Amino acid sequence: VTLAGWIFLIVAWSCVLGLAGYGVARTWKGD
Amino acid sequence: VSRERWATRIGLVLALAGNAIGLGNFLRFPRQAAENGGGAFMIPYFVCLLAIGIPLLWVELSIGRLGGRHGRGHTAGMFEVLWSHPISKYVGTLGLFIPYVVACYYVFVSSWCLAYAWFSLDGSYFGLGSLDEVGRFLAGYQGVEANRHFSSIAPAYGFYVVSFGLTVVILLGGIARGIERLALFAMPLLFVFAVVLMLRVLTLDPPPGAGPDQTVSNGLGFVWNPDFGAIANPQVWLAAAGQIFFTLSVGWGILHTYASYMAPDDDVALTGISTAGLNEVAEVVLGGTIALTSAVVFFGVVEARAIASQGSFDLGFHAMPLALEQMPGGRLFGALWFLLLFFAGITSSVAMLQPTIALLREDFGLARTPAVLATALLVFLGAQPVIFWIGHGFMDQLDFWAGSFGLLLFGFLEILIFTRLFGMARGWAEITRGARLRVPRVFHFVIAWVMPLGMGAILLAWSATNLLPELGLEKVPEADRPYVLAARWMLLVVLAAYWLAVHFGARARRAREPAA
Repeated sequence: VTLAGWIFLIVAWSCVLGLAGYGVARTWKGD
Repeated sequence: VSRERWATRIGLVLALAGNAIGLGNFLRFPRQAAENGGGAFMIPYFVCLLAIGIPLLWVELSIGRLGGRHGRGHTAGMFEVLWSHPISKYVGTLGLFIPYVVACYYVFVSSWCLAYAWFSLDGSYFGLGSLDEVGRFLAGYQGVEANRHFSSIAPAYGFYVVSFGLTVVILLGGIARGIERLALFAMPLLFVFAVVLMLRVLTLDPPPGAGPDQTVSNGLGFVWNPDFGAIANPQVWLAAAGQIFFTLSVGWGILHTYASYMAPDDDVALTGISTAGLNEVAEVVLGGTIALTSAVVFFGVVEARAIASQGSFDLGFHAMPLALEQMPGGRLFGALWFLLLFFAGITSSVAMLQPTIALLREDFGLARTPAVLATALLVFLGAQPVIFWIGHGFMDQLDFWAGSFGLLLFGFLEILIFTRLFGMARGWAEITRGARLRVPRVFHFVIAWVMPLGMGAILLAWSATNLLPELGLEKVPEADRPYVLAARWMLLVVLAAYWLAVHFGARARRAREPAA
């Protein structure tokens, strides 16, 4: 992987993990 | 009449995610990324997620919850609530037609995954040695040819009956005790299996005699190294929009049906975000790593590029078995891979039958068990030509017209009805009703203007490239034309049958309801 590839991978993974983590944690807390 | 309800919010989110996460997350996404600019593909991809994907989830969930308040569990009934015009229910019929048609082949394809999980454990496809031979194994299994691996279609039919039987048993349990319980069990397992597989792939050593390019790093680079020129290419944007649309399972009528079992003031905003988030983790993190990285490690970059260009089925059922048979612990990891795909499949299969069940229950007054069994019988009948004529392109026709064109058409029509005929003021009030997070006001503009124009552009561009060649039977061999025409007749007959059912169902419902 090139440096740019790593940057895209890390940013994309962080975004989707953050989105899912935020959504699921708040949903869970509401139950 | 009191409607069924989801028992928990997390159960609803997992059921919605189960419907959204399918074979496409693990097989289609990595191919799209690799072919459309690598890491740079993620720029149009995330823009489309924000501008089309998440807002459309909100719109569909809002329509569904609104329908549920009026006792409507299918889009034909819901569109009547949105737009009181006699033709609205016939437009909404697409949301019954599409899931039915796709279920006719999707349950069969899911059953291949169950079969391959079994074949991984007993090692049936191990030692085949070449992509050609793995391809013949699949063709033998499908009954397309009799060969040394399979002499008839009987094993495939057996696995289909088992998968379909499981789907029906789950649906007989209803929403909370059937679909929700399945999601609470299958979705966590799916994620565990996928993480285990991802760790296995990321720690792979190159096979003996491998070329210098066959490394995990090159596998990740194949999907992620950015080609910035791609961002200026409109085709790449179209591919990103298409991928977002197909991966979130919008435009089916299924999300509406699931949302109709929510409480009237339950939140749709956070539910939509959570569903999208889980789907994107399965797609970007897990799907982006497992299949293509293994392909690069076992076959090299050049071969992986060729495999990726051939399609999702080649990646899943040709390249993956061949990679798995060379992998240390391949039988176990093979079983995990195909069970993961089977779970992804069955959580979507149950969803595809539910709109018709809702129609039979609400409009024709059937109890749950007869409604489920009648729907199952109809899907079983519709699946027979798919199973026996799979070598003649029958399934591809259903997939093209219902599973691709139908979704884009339905998505475009529903956004027009929601924003222009139901009206943005009432629409926005529905989306924000009971919301557990503040929906930024910019989405008002996005839903009112960006989505109708964007969806229209996707539909037009997609039709321009695909519709005429398909209508002209350009890619169909002469011998297969009768089968392709038969598939088109089936589509017309099914659509007409649903229109009639919706017509008489609405009458029957009105006759039962006390006059207002």
